[in-house]
Amino acid sequence: MPIQRRQFLATIGAGAIAGVAGCSNSGGQSSSGAGVAGETLTLTTTTSTYDTGLLDEIHGDFEEMYGVTVDAVAQGTGAALESARNGDSDVVMVHARGLEDEFMRNGYGINRRDLMFNDFVIVGPENDPANIQGMDSATEALTAIAESESAFVSRGDNSGTHTKELNLWEAAGTEPGGDWYQEIGAGMGEALNNANQQGAYTLSDRGTFISQRSEIDLTILVQGPIEGGPEILANPYGIMAVNPGVHENANYDLAMAYIGWITSPGAQDAISNYEMNGEQLFFPEAVSEDPNFQQYVPEGWSSNSTDG
Amino acid sequence: MVELANVTHAYEDETVVTDLSLAIDPGEVVAIIGPSGVGKTTILRILALFLEPSEGEVRIDSEPIWSLSEDERLQLRRRIGMVFQDASLFDATVARNVEYGLRVRQSWRNRLRDELQSIVGSNGTSEAVTEALDLVGLTDKVNQEARSLSGGEAQRVSFARALAYDPSYLLLDEPTSDLDPRNTDLIEEAILEARDRGIGVGIATHDMHQAERIADRVAVVLGNGIAEFGPAERVFEDPTDERTAKFVSGELVY
Amino acid sequence: MLLEPIAQLLPAVIEHPFREGYVRSIIYVSLYVSVTAVAFSTLFSLPVALVMGFSEFRGKQFVKSIINTGMGFPSVVVGLLVLFAVSKQGPLGAADLIFTREAMIMSQFVLATPPITAISLAAITGVNENVRDAAHVLGGTRLDVALVVIKEARYGIATAILAGFGRAISEVGSVLIVGGNITSSSGISKTRTLTTAIQLEARQGQYDTAMLLGAVLVALVLTVNAIVVRLGDEGAMR
Repeated sequence: MPIQRRQFLATIGAGAIAGVAGCSNSGGQSSSGAGVAGETLTLTTTTSTYDTGLLDEIHGDFEEMYGVTVDAVAQGTGAALESARNGDSDVVMVHARGLEDEFMRNGYGINRRDLMFNDFVIVGPENDPANIQGMDSATEALTAIAESESAFVSRGDNSGTHTKELNLWEAAGTEPGGDWYQEIGAGMGEALNNANQQGAYTLSDRGTFISQRSEIDLTILVQGPIEGGPEILANPYGIMAVNPGVHENANYDLAMAYIGWITSPGAQDAISNYEMNGEQLFFPEAVSEDPNFQQYVPEGWSSNSTDG
Repeated sequence: MVELANVTHAYEDETVVTDLSLAIDPGEVVAIIGPSGVGKTTILRILALFLEPSEGEVRIDSEPIWSLSEDERLQLRRRIGMVFQDASLFDATVARNVEYGLRVRQSWRNRLRDELQSIVGSNGTSEAVTEALDLVGLTDKVNQEARSLSGGEAQRVSFARALAYDPSYLLLDEPTSDLDPRNTDLIEEAILEARDRGIGVGIATHDMHQAERIADRVAVVLGNGIAEFGPAERVFEDPTDERTAKFVSGELVY
Repeated sequence: MLLEPIAQLLPAVIEHPFREGYVRSIIYVSLYVSVTAVAFSTLFSLPVALVMGFSEFRGKQFVKSIINTGMGFPSVVVGLLVLFAVSKQGPLGAADLIFTREAMIMSQFVLATPPITAISLAAITGVNENVRDAAHVLGGTRLDVALVVIKEARYGIATAILAGFGRAISEVGSVLIVGGNITSSSGISKTRTLTTAIQLEARQGQYDTAMLLGAVLVALVLTVNAIVVRLGDEGAMR
């Protein structure tokens, strides 16, 4: 709708609702230049990231340091980026490089940093019907599963994990389909439970698998790069601030404070110290002696290329 | 005096009342008699000032009420009390029922204050309520739930409810047709007591004997109009209209 | 009484798998959002039901069909609509409502209103016309008559409110979308309700924990129902 009409509606809406909602802090900077203290940072991220409990563990330090509150919203990769695109969050943390790149290319995200990584593993029943145990190629393992038509559970929810899975099938040159391939449209925990009950294979992020290991009978059949498996199963996390040029109400100051903090040696140490069931879940990437320019731009971008 | 002058009223296509004129003076009982369905209820509702007739005038003390504002009409309406054939009590205590009329006539501030007091329990029963219940012989039931009353008791409470705020006129629509003789007696006594206090009473009834017992004037409604309107004695003993004579003597059976 | 030692042990049992104060905070958010939504909804629905019950106006059938459609309207769609409205891109964006309890109240308001209106309407039209006439003829203004009708229909209206509350507090999809299921880093809920907490446990495959929270939710709903019914009975016995 035309700009004026939207602003008019927005004004009416704000006037009518502001009383109910209480004072909104987007209205104006009333506090005397005390920086970001007292403000709230909205961070959107994926459910698997959130469910590891890492954020709840480390955010307290940041909140104390700056006197702020972090609202971590676990939405799933697509929704997290969409919220950021709409200006409903200030900073976004996902692990889907392709989508992050698109986000940056469209101008919504800036100041990207590599944050940390873990990896994916292919898990399945101990009796391993497709015989993929110990394979060092994820794509070959998937091909074997497809050819033997062994049961495979897919998250089917356009999450980062699901996207990774689809990329693997593509790289393997196989299109999965048939009764043995089940898309359940659910989270990682449910997918593991489902696979466990059926004795099926599935692709899982290591973190969720570790946290559920005691309750299910699946084992890791193809390792990820952390334990020497193929690189293709790497799962790197990136963090980006929402571009204040596109959303002027985004809390850019606080977003940058957050990114600065979480990529600092202190927080990166905290990340590597975070354990679940006695195992390290995440491997920090942000602090490095050697330069890593690719983290700031879409993959493959160079000053000679045509985009940006 | 409340009066109807040449009033005609039709619901949808059906004309219920045709060119009807009658009046009720303070301190008298006017019985409106006639068979069931002849329009007595409609007449009462018009007298109660809450049904506007299709044609004709309704006046209180010579003031045509339907040309007044809603507020002014409300004030006049509040001088009238009404008792229906079915007691129509509220699902509350007898006291709350009887004091309803008094409550709605108070300012909102007072009502709020009284409401809060009654929640806390520091309210007694007001005098007007006690008096009204006394008139119908039910002061002992003041805190009883209305739904636990017998039919006769409920009707008597309904009477007290209409009287509690000291109306100038009291209208009753077949108030005793469902009651046993004892309760009928009590109601009729109360009606006469009200009349003696100067209230103008209009009572619709199909019981001629009741009319004979308590009415000062009688309006006989047959067909759509009034066949006869005059002092009770004359109507019963020496009616001018032939149909009246037949009705009164029980020949016209309805 | 048996209940007392159980009531003392219960919080400890329930909180056991969780951090301190977690369960209490999500119960609080659940109640705060639902009770507020139902309160606003009742204030809105009762006058609507009164008008629907006692007056004729053009478009009355249309309003009635909206109410009936609203009863079965998919709640998650309501969530999407509210999201659209309160997102920073949306018409109410400037009010900063996304991921707040107030947005959750909005969506539960939309969900609770149809059942509260429809059931209240049934109760109100069930009030004997003579009682209404009596209230009128004894000198009541329209407002007085409305209050009398509401009092007469109070048990039906209480049922309506309970139905609306049931729908509100059981809501998952829409409050998840507009609220964001947020807790503080120490586990105190900001926009997490019992239902969205259950959803979180379920998606992680923690079905036992989810069931525990489910039991808490059921207990909560039963308690609220019992309280309202008890108040009703006490009124009847007075």
